[in-house]
Amino acid sequence: MGALRPWARFPLLVVGHLLALGIGAAVFQALEGPPALRLQAKLRTELATFQAEYGACLPPGALEELLGTALAAQVRGVSSWGDGSEAGNWDLPSALLFTASILTTTGYGCMAPLSAGGKAFCVLYAALGLPASLALLAALRRCLLPLLSRPGAWVAAYWRPAPARAALLRAAGLGLLVAGAFVLLPALVLWGVQGDCSLLEAIYFCFSSLSTIGLGDLLPGHGRGLHPVLYHLGQLALLGGGTLPWAVVWE
Amino acid sequence: MAPGPGLPASLALCRPRAPAAPDDRARHCAVPGTVLLLLAYLAYLALGTGVFWVLESPAARDSSARFQREKWALLQNFTCLDGPALDSLIRGIVQAYQSGDIVLGNTTSMGRWELVGSFFFSVSTVTTIGYGNLSPHTMAARLFCIFFALVGIPLNLVVLNRLGHLMQQGVHHCARSLGGAWQDPAKARWLAGSGALLSGLLLFLLLPPLLFCHMEGWSYVESFYFAFITLSTVGFGDYVIGMDPSRRYPLWYKNTVSLWILFGMAWLALIIKLILSLLETPGRSYSCYHHSSKENFKPQSWRQSPDGEAEPRLPQSGCCPEGPVRIMQHPEPSTQVSCCGKGN
Repeated sequence: MGALRPWARFPLLVVGHLLALGIGAAVFQALEGPPALRLQAKLRTELATFQAEYGACLPPGALEELLGTALAAQVRGVSSWGDGSEAGNWDLPSALLFTASILTTTGYGCMAPLSAGGKAFCVLYAALGLPASLALLAALRRCLLPLLSRPGAWVAAYWRPAPARAALLRAAGLGLLVAGAFVLLPALVLWGVQGDCSLLEAIYFCFSSLSTIGLGDLLPGHGRGLHPVLYHLGQLALLGGGTLPWAVVWE
Repeated sequence: MAPGPGLPASLALCRPRAPAAPDDRARHCAVPGTVLLLLAYLAYLALGTGVFWVLESPAARDSSARFQREKWALLQNFTCLDGPALDSLIRGIVQAYQSGDIVLGNTTSMGRWELVGSFFFSVSTVTTIGYGNLSPHTMAARLFCIFFALVGIPLNLVVLNRLGHLMQQGVHHCARSLGGAWQDPAKARWLAGSGALLSGLLLFLLLPPLLFCHMEGWSYVESFYFAFITLSTVGFGDYVIGMDPSRRYPLWYKNTVSLWILFGMAWLALIIKLILSLLETPGRSYSCYHHSSKENFKPQSWRQSPDGEAEPRLPQSGCCPEGPVRIMQHPEPSTQVSCCGKGN
């Protein structure tokens, strides 16, 4: 009777989590889309005036200034050229990726809130959402712990190592499982899907996502329609499942 | 403490036994261990700093020099740049920036793969903040980064755990001395807990932004945003300290910020763990105090939570002077009481 309750709580937690992600993404989209478009438009008008003024000659100082502006915008995640093909930085898949990167504390940085309201909401969202995702992780771990310890028990029954050894073996086994399932496999998939990055780069990206470092220097391509959403969802599962073995190993 | 066969036995185990003896022993053992751990942590960070520095700075310098040459060659050839050429130049520059080349001549030491920059990169990797203002581009550095993080992140978690535990101990001592003075231990503990919470909030989240305002020229909101994003290890990288080439940063500034990150993260992890334990459904709560009475700020009851284990990003529960909390499997798997077990 009591054993049912964690299992009943868990799907509810997952659904609530997904809902929170979606709501957060929508809010960010609403908050950030307009300022990003405005910054982009401003950059484009600056570029146009620059071209009009210095169409003939190019003093180096002015160029550096312009480039500085372009780069500053880039840091904030606004691309300085836009033939309109990328429908704004804060379209739904990107916003979803952004909220996921907050909740998993990865924080890639390719997108960051520009407006003060966006920043305040980001802080609030993280302050409320981080404990919630940790609760989700705890629930996940509770559910998966029996599953994960079964192969370990099988091994222990077979070989009967010393207890300390057994713990070490179990940790090593789980580590290998994590490395294989959560780093190598997605890296292979990514490498296959995206032709322009090497396997090592894909592994590096998967690792930096999984460890929630999230440097953000390599990201899967944007202009592929559904792919970012799928990859994001996969990444969320990755992170949720991937930190699990760490917790178990930690024990 | 051996695990009991059923719930009532474990309940008895949870009663305060001999608080004095484990206390003193724990206190004596905890401090040198902590110092050793901190030294190991620093040594590990130094290792990372050195390796990244050696691996990345030659490559960065080369590519930066190459980019400068290309740029000036372009400008010399096309003294009159037309639209598409300028566009392609900007595109090239942005792409170069995204791939990490130093584009404009002026960067601070934080933006370069030198000592300070490499050290901050190591810190941001090991704490999983991961700003991204500096990121490795040579394959060797990336591989090293992976292995560095594999060892460094657990090490960081252990250190944070220790720090959090020490902070809890400090609060607990205050609570006990207050309780002794006021003859009301529960109220004293509650007061000490909330006092610790508020002072931590002030010290780690509300006051440091003033420093950043002054040093970096950001507004208070931006500084608070940076503080929060850093301490929660999200680390977007849109705001990073020490990146403005037009400002002078004193030497103590960056060291202070590193210390702030360390202690602030430990404190925030404690707070999150508290909130987490409040979020967990109470189930059956016992008024069972832990054997060494080194409990967190909730004085009323030790909630029987099926999961008393801390999350990977959180310090372990502060109930044990040393060693993690062991979750003991009872015959009914739904009711697991977390108790300290020295010899499991």
